[in-house]
Amino acid sequence: MKTGVYFCNCGTNISDKIDSEKIREEILKLPGEIRFRTIDFMCSEDGKEALEKDLKENGMERAVITACSPRDHENTFMRVLSKAGLNPYLMQMVSVREQVAWVTEEREKATEKALRYTNAALKRLALQDPLEHKEIDICPDVLVIGAGPAGLKAALSIAESGRKVVIVEKTPVIGGMPVRYEELFPNMECGPCMLEPVLGDVLHGEHSGNIELLTISEVMDVVGSYGNFIVKIRRNPRYVDADKCIGCAECMTPCPVSAKNEFNYGLDERKAIYLPFAGALPNAPSIDNAICLRAKGRDCRLCKDACPVEDAIIYDDAESIIERNVGAILVAVGAGVYDCKKIPNLGYGSMPDVYTSSEFERILASNGPTEGEVKTAQGKRPKSVAIIHCAGSLDENHKEYCSGICCQYAFKFNHLVGKKLPGTKIYHFYKELSFPGKEEFTLYHHAKEDRNTAFVRYRDMKDLKVEKKGAKKAVTYKDASGKKGSAPADMLILCPAVVPAEGSGSLGNILEATHDKFGFFEELHGRMDSAQSKIKGIYLAGACQSPMDIQKAMSQGMAAAGYILSGLVAGRKLEIKPITAVVDADRCSGCRVCMSVCPYKAISYDTEKEVSSVNEVLCQGCGTCVAACPAGAVKGNHFTTDEIFAEIEGVLA
Amino acid sequence: MSGKPKLSMYWATACGGCEISLVNIHEKVLDVDANFEFMFCPCLLDTKKKDIEAMPDKGIAITLFNGAIRTEENEEMARLLRKKSRVLIAYGSCSYEGCIPGLSNLHSREDHFKTIYLDNPTVDNPSGVVPTPETAVPEGTLRIPSFYERVKTLSDVVDADYFIPGCPPEPHQVWNVIEAVVQGRQLPPAGSVIGAGASAVCEECERKKEDKKIKKFYRTYEMIPDREKCLLEQGIVCMGIATRSGCGALCPKVNMPCTGCYGPPEGVLDQGAKMIAALGSIIDIGDVKGLSEEEIAKRADAVISSIPDPAGTFYKYSLPGSILKGRIS
Ligand SMILES: Cc1cc2nc3c(=O)[nH]c(=O)nc-3n(C[C@H](O)[C@H](O)[C@H](O)COP(=O)(O)OP(=O)(O)OC[C@H]3O[C@@H](n4cnc5c(N)ncnc54)[C@H](O)[C@@H]3O)c2cc1C
Ligand code: SF4
Ligand code: SF4
Repeated sequence: MKTGVYFCNCGTNISDKIDSEKIREEILKLPGEIRFRTIDFMCSEDGKEALEKDLKENGMERAVITACSPRDHENTFMRVLSKAGLNPYLMQMVSVREQVAWVTEEREKATEKALRYTNAALKRLALQDPLEHKEIDICPDVLVIGAGPAGLKAALSIAESGRKVVIVEKTPVIGGMPVRYEELFPNMECGPCMLEPVLGDVLHGEHSGNIELLTISEVMDVVGSYGNFIVKIRRNPRYVDADKCIGCAECMTPCPVSAKNEFNYGLDERKAIYLPFAGALPNAPSIDNAICLRAKGRDCRLCKDACPVEDAIIYDDAESIIERNVGAILVAVGAGVYDCKKIPNLGYGSMPDVYTSSEFERILASNGPTEGEVKTAQGKRPKSVAIIHCAGSLDENHKEYCSGICCQYAFKFNHLVGKKLPGTKIYHFYKELSFPGKEEFTLYHHAKEDRNTAFVRYRDMKDLKVEKKGAKKAVTYKDASGKKGSAPADMLILCPAVVPAEGSGSLGNILEATHDKFGFFEELHGRMDSAQSKIKGIYLAGACQSPMDIQKAMSQGMAAAGYILSGLVAGRKLEIKPITAVVDADRCSGCRVCMSVCPYKAISYDTEKEVSSVNEVLCQGCGTCVAACPAGAVKGNHFTTDEIFAEIEGVLA
Repeated sequence: MSGKPKLSMYWATACGGCEISLVNIHEKVLDVDANFEFMFCPCLLDTKKKDIEAMPDKGIAITLFNGAIRTEENEEMARLLRKKSRVLIAYGSCSYEGCIPGLSNLHSREDHFKTIYLDNPTVDNPSGVVPTPETAVPEGTLRIPSFYERVKTLSDVVDADYFIPGCPPEPHQVWNVIEAVVQGRQLPPAGSVIGAGASAVCEECERKKEDKKIKKFYRTYEMIPDREKCLLEQGIVCMGIATRSGCGALCPKVNMPCTGCYGPPEGVLDQGAKMIAALGSIIDIGDVKGLSEEEIAKRADAVISSIPDPAGTFYKYSLPGSILKGRIS
């Protein structure tokens, strides 16, 4: 086996500390056909050319590159090997710059160290196998779960590039949370209006033909992996044909039964056949089977009789299970808010006129339960409003993190209350104030300058207490400086911590995607890959990954679309890197120890053959299972036990 | 002397169970006799060392060498038998990996002598005599073989051709090997483990295996395990996952955990380390999201501390043959 050892001086970076002549002398004493050559600046064009030429001209079969960190130039030199006609995995880099020259003072010691590392590389290299990249066919279609801003933005841009997208939305409406908000920070745009272009394009835009929108639907099961997932979706009946329905709402008035409207957080009622709010899209009602009289065996036909369109209402619509093949999945299921009943001193649920911010958004909305009128339970206009920031956020008894968006909507509320009810006294109780960005401060400045607005900083949630004083309510408090006080509050608005959406745990189980310690979907890397989950082919966008505002949710949707469009290209095959784990079925004892250790869920168990196997598309080559397998049945390609021990022995020799 | 190929069996530091295991092939012993001249076995025959020394080199066809190398004498016999045998087989766990005698590598020779000759309550040794290789007596100097600092395996001192694992090896596996030789079948390359499988005991164990999560370990007397379920899943430290197959999963069959006597599966360098890595992967300390490192360590410690005698459990048979070979003082 002819092996070339190529030593890069890296200017003086390496040669200052390591005596290449001494290395040459010692290396050439080793058994085997070894060639040693120094090449200056091996990563330069000249250097690469020299390396290629030397490999070819001398018939080298393997190469040790004694140079910089493989992080820097492993790929560079692997490409040179390929060009020289060698398998690129028959190369081993020795990081003598980062791990020796830069960290070892004495030249003699550095040379000795470099020699040992080179020896180790030679030992391991002799055992290395040539490895090949594999390719598999892929399905370029995409599944988007959740039709909020993040999911829709991604779906639309994927559809615009000509790709098929299936959107699964749990509720009858699309648009997510912001379509329920009358106005949006920071620029006080109307929520539904701002989102309309996106929603409209999804429903009937130029590329809507590429989008299959499944509302009142849920993902039940996912099998397969990146490039080839098979998704089972439960499609619940709407009982209304959204294509035929003209959205006139005639059917709703005669309906004799009603229930609390969950879209208005139970602040008002809606019928069994209903639109959650005026302007909801798709503009077609749905029938709530839980209360519809027909579901109870009664022969009510009032809605159908009132409907001016024939067959728009379909009483025999039924649940169906459908299957779709997709190559990538985007999770965009948004977030929820913390249950304020867990902070009893704030009076939520036990005192009148204490609302969460989500509820208050609906109170402010002209299509909400009060048609935008802000009044107390007694029908009076509140003279004082207390807004409690950080309700459950920055609190080790509740949620440790800052929810990031609350301060901004709190000042949005400040603005809207001031506009609707001029002269109302508004108190902001806050732990910290947070509104980073170039636009986000404006509403705060307005509030600060407003003489009817007051700020109280508190240290701990237990320093606040909402108390009844006769017919009135007040917040008694101890502020951050320890001063006690009390502020009247006819109405209270709590800004609860943003928490993972209901059901995101079970969705995570279906997708085998992991959650972080707070229950949000866990990103591959918090800074660099926040739109990717740890499972290859499953992407994240929006508030399901972390509390965020619409801007970031939309950007993340686009980021995910970018990953998907660049990774999965129709007609192009998916390349599988060969550094994966492989189970030797003859050696596998079927003990199932490996099953739970893989962070990427790449291992599955064949109950018939009673052996495990690794899905090479999902495997990231981390080696966890290789270490765990007590039978020695799992081999880590390019990091086999023999290679690793040879390397250790080479260093110690 | 007949013209049949010669078979010998020697015991170094061993318990005698290996000899019994050979006899345990029952009536097949007659086949052995028909095919070999069984000519050396201090446990059963009266041949002496000088008789072996007098033989030509490679005069013995096969030597089954059992027992670990604890003393100078053990090594001397190993060298002699290596020289005189065409095929030298490390027979049984002691000569293959050091086995129970090898656990003494957790202590020094001085500690052993102190415990055995000085501190032992049933020993009366007022002048504190401990064995030394040479002792001066009026008649001259007495020599006894020295006691090594550490127990070694057969292949630590000579090249062994094959290894038959087991404490002791299972008779059917012993017979498999003898039969192969008798029938003149091609033996695997030198250095191989023979008379055993390549996978782990679980392969032969019929218990139902699930994905494993262990919250607490139990000692065998603390519970009567379910007969159908994997013992490890029930919290019994069963070494089967990290032990070479070949025995037929005898211990799990009778509701006892595998203790590991067949040594590491093919390709595994260190049985104990593998077992630790595997258990580390399946110990269940509950949801740790949001817990501090100290809290996580505390929970892990609580589960780990329910494993009695980790060194003696994970390295019961394999300490001298492992990577560390014993306690590093
Ligand atoms: C009170 C309040 C006021 C706010 N005001 C503003 C503001 O003024 N400006 C601003 O920029 N941001 C504001 N935000 C933040 C904003 O709501 C979020 O940034 C935005 O909703 C995130 O979009 P998303 O697509 O990630 O999630 P969402 O908008 O929550 O959409 C998620 C969608 O997924 C669906 N879904 C959930 N689970 C499933 C499932 N299992 N299967 C299928 N579908 C599912 C949901 O029904 C929903 O349609 C506010 C937030 C709150 C709480
Ligand atoms: S841990 Fe090893 S032996 Fe056990 S099931 Fe997995 S691959 Fe097979
Ligand atoms: S090497 Fe890592 S990623 Fe691959 S199967 Fe094993 S544990 Fe999973």
